[in-house]
Amino acid sequence: MLTRRQNLLETITGGKPDRFVNQYEFMELIMEAPRDDRPKPGGTRKSKWGITFVWPEGQLGVFPLHDAEHKVLKDITKWREYVHAPEIDTTETVWAAAVAHADRVDRKDQYVAGIYLSGVFEMTHHLMGMTEAMMAFYEEPEAMHELIDYITEYELAYAKVLIEKIHPDCIFHHDDWGGQKNSFVSPSMFKEFFLPAYKKIYGFYKSNGVDLIVHHSDSYAANLVPYMIEMGIDIWQGVMTTNNTPELIKKYGGQISFMGDIDSGVVDFPDWTPEIAARETERACRNCGKLYFIPNLTQGLNVSSFPGVYEEVSRSIDRLSREMF
Amino acid sequence: MAILEEVKTMIEDGETKLITEVVQKAIDEGTTPEDILQAMIDAMSVVGDRFSTGEIFIPEMLMAAKAMSEGMDILKPLLVGSSSTNALGTCIIGTVEGDLHDIGKNLVSVMIESVGFHIIDLGVDVPTARWIEAIKENQNVTLVACSGLLTTTMPAMKETVQTIKASDLNGLKVIVGGAPITQEYANVIGADGYSADAGSAAVKAVELVKSM
Repeated sequence: MLTRRQNLLETITGGKPDRFVNQYEFMELIMEAPRDDRPKPGGTRKSKWGITFVWPEGQLGVFPLHDAEHKVLKDITKWREYVHAPEIDTTETVWAAAVAHADRVDRKDQYVAGIYLSGVFEMTHHLMGMTEAMMAFYEEPEAMHELIDYITEYELAYAKVLIEKIHPDCIFHHDDWGGQKNSFVSPSMFKEFFLPAYKKIYGFYKSNGVDLIVHHSDSYAANLVPYMIEMGIDIWQGVMTTNNTPELIKKYGGQISFMGDIDSGVVDFPDWTPEIAARETERACRNCGKLYFIPNLTQGLNVSSFPGVYEEVSRSIDRLSREMF
Repeated sequence: MAILEEVKTMIEDGETKLITEVVQKAIDEGTTPEDILQAMIDAMSVVGDRFSTGEIFIPEMLMAAKAMSEGMDILKPLLVGSSSTNALGTCIIGTVEGDLHDIGKNLVSVMIESVGFHIIDLGVDVPTARWIEAIKENQNVTLVACSGLLTTTMPAMKETVQTIKASDLNGLKVIVGGAPITQEYANVIGADGYSADAGSAAVKAVELVKSM
């Protein structure tokens, strides 16, 4: 039986996996690494960048506030006055838990995965609001390029510390690039503004011992896959069914792999049932096949919003592995 | 008329810096403000269709809406007393309680405004009571548009829609939308209409209000 790491590699290189990769099993997420933490459910918290996030009681996640009082970036042309990257804490004590966790991982079995939330695109609209960010690409492109460069430099500085501290061989990086049905910006705009940034970021990781780039965008982004490949993404996590995942696998398998196709919104909801989870998992596995595909809820962590859903999907994947391999 | 085609092109292309000049030129050439407005509404309809089919993206739609708004600034003084502006009445729009997403709601808002509604935007996380208050506070409310992105806020949408429908407030239609919402769900909760995206929301809004 292949280790979880070997099985992942066989899957994404077109080899001979002996079962489905079961969701996030191949990566051990080092959640203890210092990050710009978010509020807990029901709470409010200002991030180190000054962005105020709230997690409404009973809801599924956090939201940045952009009313006049809370918006960080009030005028893109004066972004240097408003946007100040936080210090990156490098002290041993702060990183001790992350280092200890990374040291405990059997790297023959799993990847040590650093996690980075809120990538470059999300940062632009977290700082200034979605509508303002979207229009600024047209109205103030030079300032947007400068802001993106600044955010990218911060990411690179954090990456350097992360690599020094925990020596990750995988990066799990969040940046939502679309809604359910389309990318937020056109491919040409994405190419102009974000491809260069991500080539720098993912290129830096790959030049410094990171073998595997897993990018989270639980959205439609099929039109951006060529750029994902160009920037060095190995696995797109969060691929929704609206992308026609089997077609993507057929078209791009071997250059990139796809992780998801089990839409969290369809499976992971208050009145969820094991039958729905099993049905959707089976559909995904049978339609997408054994190579270049990892069946997974589209949610961007190894959990579900409602207790038991993630585990139920995992059980279904195990059953399908027994049936299909 | 060539000038009206030019106005349409300026809106469709989101030419926020050039639109005022072209609208002024159209006025100077003797085109009626009503005809210019209709050309702008037609252009936004094209924009809505292109967004629905995935041909254009959020930035392009927002730029078109801004161009429309800039053009309206020139036209409005000439349309005072005309039945063309806000001809379809007032639309109360917001995101339902517990949900802080605003981009979908904002896109629907600009599209609905562009086809001739006066917009009252209640923002996000709007409790049911606030919807009712807003309908009572404003004149000629013909449409209520409820947005919600989360499965967990679907109950709040249901409560809002059913409270409005069960009230004695009439002469209005309720339209719903958002990622987890479907036509079936809209039917179940008693909404009058549903749309899958901002482009079709404007079309549906007009259809609903004109059917009253």
